[in-house]
Amino acid sequence: MMERRVRQLLAVPELGIAFALLFFSALFWLINPALLTTGSLGAMLRALAFVGIIAVGQTMLMIAGELDLSVGSVAGLCAVLASWLTKEKGWAVPPAVAAGLLAGGAVGLANGLLAVRARIPAFIVTLGMLYIARGLNYLLCAGYPIYPLPAALAGMGKASPLGLSWAFFAFLGIAALGQLALARTVYGRAIYATGGNCEVARLAGIRTGAVKIGCYVLTGALAALSGMLLMAQLNVGQPEIGAGWELEVIAGVVIGGVSLFGGVGTIAGTVLGLLLMQVVRSGLALSSANTHWQTVAVGAIMIAAVGLDLWRRRAKR
Amino acid sequence: MSDHAIEMEDIAKDFGAVRALKGVTLRVRGGSIHALVGANGAGKSTLMKILDGVYPAGSYRGEIRIAGARAALRSPHDARRKGIGYVPQEISVIEPLSVAENIFVGQTGRGGHFWTSRRELEGRARRFLEEQRISLEAGAPASYLSASERQLVMIARALAGRPKVLILDEATACLTDREAGSLFELLRHLKKQGLTCIFVSHRLREVEELADRVTVLRDGEVAAAFDRGGYGQEAVVSAMVGPMAAQRLEGAVAKNEIAADRAEVLRVERLFVPHPRLAHRHVVEEASFALRRGEILGLAGLVGSGRSALLNALAGRIPFRGGIFLEGRQIRLRSPQEAHRLGIGLLTEDRKGDGLLFNLGLRENISAGALSRISRFGFLDRRAETRFAEEFSRRFDLRAPSAAAPVGALSGGNQQKVILARLLLARPRVLLLDEPTKGVDVAAREEIYRTFRELASEGVAMVLVSSEFEELLWLCDRIVVLARGHIIDRMDRGEASEARIVRAATGGENPSDFISS
Repeated sequence: MMERRVRQLLAVPELGIAFALLFFSALFWLINPALLTTGSLGAMLRALAFVGIIAVGQTMLMIAGELDLSVGSVAGLCAVLASWLTKEKGWAVPPAVAAGLLAGGAVGLANGLLAVRARIPAFIVTLGMLYIARGLNYLLCAGYPIYPLPAALAGMGKASPLGLSWAFFAFLGIAALGQLALARTVYGRAIYATGGNCEVARLAGIRTGAVKIGCYVLTGALAALSGMLLMAQLNVGQPEIGAGWELEVIAGVVIGGVSLFGGVGTIAGTVLGLLLMQVVRSGLALSSANTHWQTVAVGAIMIAAVGLDLWRRRAKR
Repeated sequence: MSDHAIEMEDIAKDFGAVRALKGVTLRVRGGSIHALVGANGAGKSTLMKILDGVYPAGSYRGEIRIAGARAALRSPHDARRKGIGYVPQEISVIEPLSVAENIFVGQTGRGGHFWTSRRELEGRARRFLEEQRISLEAGAPASYLSASERQLVMIARALAGRPKVLILDEATACLTDREAGSLFELLRHLKKQGLTCIFVSHRLREVEELADRVTVLRDGEVAAAFDRGGYGQEAVVSAMVGPMAAQRLEGAVAKNEIAADRAEVLRVERLFVPHPRLAHRHVVEEASFALRRGEILGLAGLVGSGRSALLNALAGRIPFRGGIFLEGRQIRLRSPQEAHRLGIGLLTEDRKGDGLLFNLGLRENISAGALSRISRFGFLDRRAETRFAEEFSRRFDLRAPSAAAPVGALSGGNQQKVILARLLLARPRVLLLDEPTKGVDVAAREEIYRTFRELASEGVAMVLVSSEFEELLWLCDRIVVLARGHIIDRMDRGEASEARIVRAATGGENPSDFISS
């Protein structure tokens, strides 16, 4: 009886994560009330934005049944490219940013064509692209940070509207658009169908290849945007931008309830998953535990989240 | 001491509510070749899988004796140990390995050897092949082998376990006559060595030629048994069909006179479908037929005859050569999406595998085939989507808790109606139906038949593949019979009968003799 109730409650995937989020927030707040002050909350949300923007694309890509490991490297490459164009080539900010976005989209397109059309496993293609983008990044900047950047960029990066950042509002807007696209558009429906069963989708006339490649391009472009937003905030074209983000993004998406096999998940879930990760991190940081426990905790949460998700799914049958 | 190598006494087996075997007794004399024949679904494979331990002791009723001693077969591995070898219908050689490795796969570690040396293995294989008089090169890579050589590898693999009884489950399904002939030589040789052989086949001529005794199964029961020389092919055919067939037919002939002057929708000219794995081999050869508006064309044939391949080629799922014309214009079908765009819809045989989107609800499953009909400027109109789902639910009497219900929770019949609704929402010109009533209960079946009739009267043309000949006779205006990739016989509604279908489907040694236009 009890178990059935728990399972029913957990039947809405976002609800399960939301409960976990509330539980950990309360727990760490009891340990150290400083967690839920406005300053601390603002810091958490600002930190969330960069990985969060990419996670929107990654969510759609993973629902379609694919995966991109190159996002961190692409973020770094595009940030360095944009800053290099302004600094060394004297480009104005808008065309440099546009070039960065285009480059991100182009890498996404290459990922998509190789994974979908040439049928090389996505894991291999995007892992290879992780290295390629990282290498190109260092070739471009010769290993040194590029600065100073034009004042317009630095001003935007430093601004803190409502105690938050432009990057955070960009994340909010993109997440809202992503959720709308998934839930209310033909493209979103095609993504779910493709990830649910590619063969059924093909027979229903859905152009599954184009759907997947579109998700790759979107993910690449969002990675570029995210990298350039961090570049603006740091006011440096730092080659290390994005290092390790790919795993953060995937951890957040998976904790948020997206199935690795595709077909299942929402942007709302991903946002909650990212928040959960961030709360546990900040909470541990404020509870004066060794900082490396944060990394341990993220891993444990990921395994627990997926385990619970599978348990819930089995219960449904 | 009995002189029977195998005795299966009163074997009964249920799959859920379906009774696959209703008390079958099969006694196989030691050192004989025993053939098992029957139409699709007669229970041959189930019976052989019981003997191979795939369905373990306890999952069926009845008793098995091997050489007179009661035996409980708990797994295929257990069956091997008790002297039963099994050659499956599907050839499963491991391509990157050599012939020798393929033969001894699974037993390389035997007798205290953990490490295996390739040379030692090849030597052992060469001696073994010589002894069994199988002409294969032990060191050759399996990927270079032809279909019949692959089949020989499978047989050698089964023989390597030193069985006393060898089961061949439609071992000749994809062999040419000459290849089958050399396989029979091998079987006769093995028989002389004292091996008992049970072989399942659809080709009655080879059964007559080879078998010492034939057991005919029909609907999970033994319909007849014949000894060598004591029967003709006709006797076997009528045993497979059963006495009821003539009666069943009478009710069926009443319906649906198709006017010959109806416009032609689909024409297929000299269609070849290459074998998915074997070069220069086709699963469909030179098939030609035409389909008129509102016509239901039946594709009959036994499993492996190429009927599903033909259907999948028409749906753009597998490559083919030859001409396909839609309303007089030649079309290229390079993908299912292209077929969908042209108004060709496919109901697949495997509902669970490629029929439904289990991650979405009933409503979304129905609308997936026609998203443009429920959207404006790329945005979904959820109200229209729900309306369509409700409309089809009413029309097909689709019983589901709500339009949002997950499709995994629906019954087989209701699931099939969901797929049908998806196909119809896309307003198809041609529907390809692969076993549309498989696993569907009787009531839902009636409704599905009624829907096909309605669609036909609305002008939709249909190609129906079914293992149930009754269903074909009941629904189809014309029937085309395939055997081993060739169209063997064509019949109009008035002249079709179950016996004629079975005769064509089990014959066809030399297709060109049979073809009538």
